[in-house]
Amino acid sequence: MTINHRRSPTNRCNALKSTGPRSVAGKRASSQNSRKHGLNSAPDFESSSECRALIDLIAEEGLSAFACADIATGLLNYRRVMDAYYDTYSSPEPIDEFLRDANVKASNPIFSELLSPSGSEPQDVRDMAAFFASMQRQERRKGGPVSRRSADNHKLIRYQRNAIARLSRAVRQD
Amino acid sequence: MPYNVHFGIYVDVAMPVEDKFKSLLPFLSSPKLLPNESEAGFQSGLQSLLSELANPSPLAVALVSQLNECLWWIKRHTVDKELLLHEAMARLLSKAGSNWMASGNSKLSVALEHYLEGSAHKDEAALIEQTLTGANLTLSDLRVRAFKDAARHIKMVDDLIHRQHQTMRHLQRSIDSIDYKSRLLKRMDLELAALESKQSAKGVLSLDDKPS
Repeated sequence: MTINHRRSPTNRCNALKSTGPRSVAGKRASSQNSRKHGLNSAPDFESSSECRALIDLIAEEGLSAFACADIATGLLNYRRVMDAYYDTYSSPEPIDEFLRDANVKASNPIFSELLSPSGSEPQDVRDMAAFFASMQRQERRKGGPVSRRSADNHKLIRYQRNAIARLSRAVRQD
Repeated sequence: MPYNVHFGIYVDVAMPVEDKFKSLLPFLSSPKLLPNESEAGFQSGLQSLLSELANPSPLAVALVSQLNECLWWIKRHTVDKELLLHEAMARLLSKAGSNWMASGNSKLSVALEHYLEGSAHKDEAALIEQTLTGANLTLSDLRVRAFKDAARHIKMVDDLIHRQHQTMRHLQRSIDSIDYKSRLLKRMDLELAALESKQSAKGVLSLDDKPS
């Protein structure tokens, strides 16, 4: 699918008027919109085959069965967090180069041309230009790929802290 | 019955401990590297850490491999701090040159990257020097301004590095705890054996002392 850059601001303006999904399937799909890393879900490690294999290996340390299970789940949970950390780092949010580099002032005639068939007032054109400029500021504030991945990884610090604390507690509990 | 562990590694519960240890190692030390990173460097770091283990039990190896990954992340984030500065320098330079259009911006970024690495072509070096002169800036001025501009993101990367240090402290304490436990168990076994031998010697002596 090709993106028409001239239509892009109009599409974004129209999207603002949307009241959200109406169908059940649409609502189900949009409920997953903010889901990025899935670290807030509680996976069932204990019934997984990985966990059983790990417990058997750790049992050779001479620890109790409860301690082995705690350590194995702690270790798997820590790995899950670190895998999400790596995924976030290696695939940062893409840069919208058109939005970042566009000249808003020079785009005013394009906006009026796009809006004029609907009989829009000059105020509408100004609103659209202001909206476009605010989006551009947001995009520029996010910076380049390194800034983006640093900001995204920064959000995972608390998951890493909790995972390592859980693992460390499990190892040192006996 | 083989267990399917992450990343396609199979661990059989009935296999001997040495084999399990070998199977577990790639699962927990799974080097998830970026395309430009060397696996040999990662593995040599891991091997040097493993060689310092007095008692390389599977759990200790698993924890040491996590420690090695933390060191790797610190390296990555340290490189990122410099890259953040480069990004900010390119941004400021393109603003100063009133050259904020798609083609000019990316061209300037690439040229600046080459210029800072010392591998810039003549025309790239000329472009950078011309833009710097036009903006009445030196490279060090630009770097200072870029540092100010990117301070928010540099602070974030510092937080990420700090987090890795904290994680390493947790892992180190856990490894020490395992080591201490195993040494304690050994010591108790030895004391028990010594007591048993004393007891048996006493028993022999008391049998000898009995009047016939």
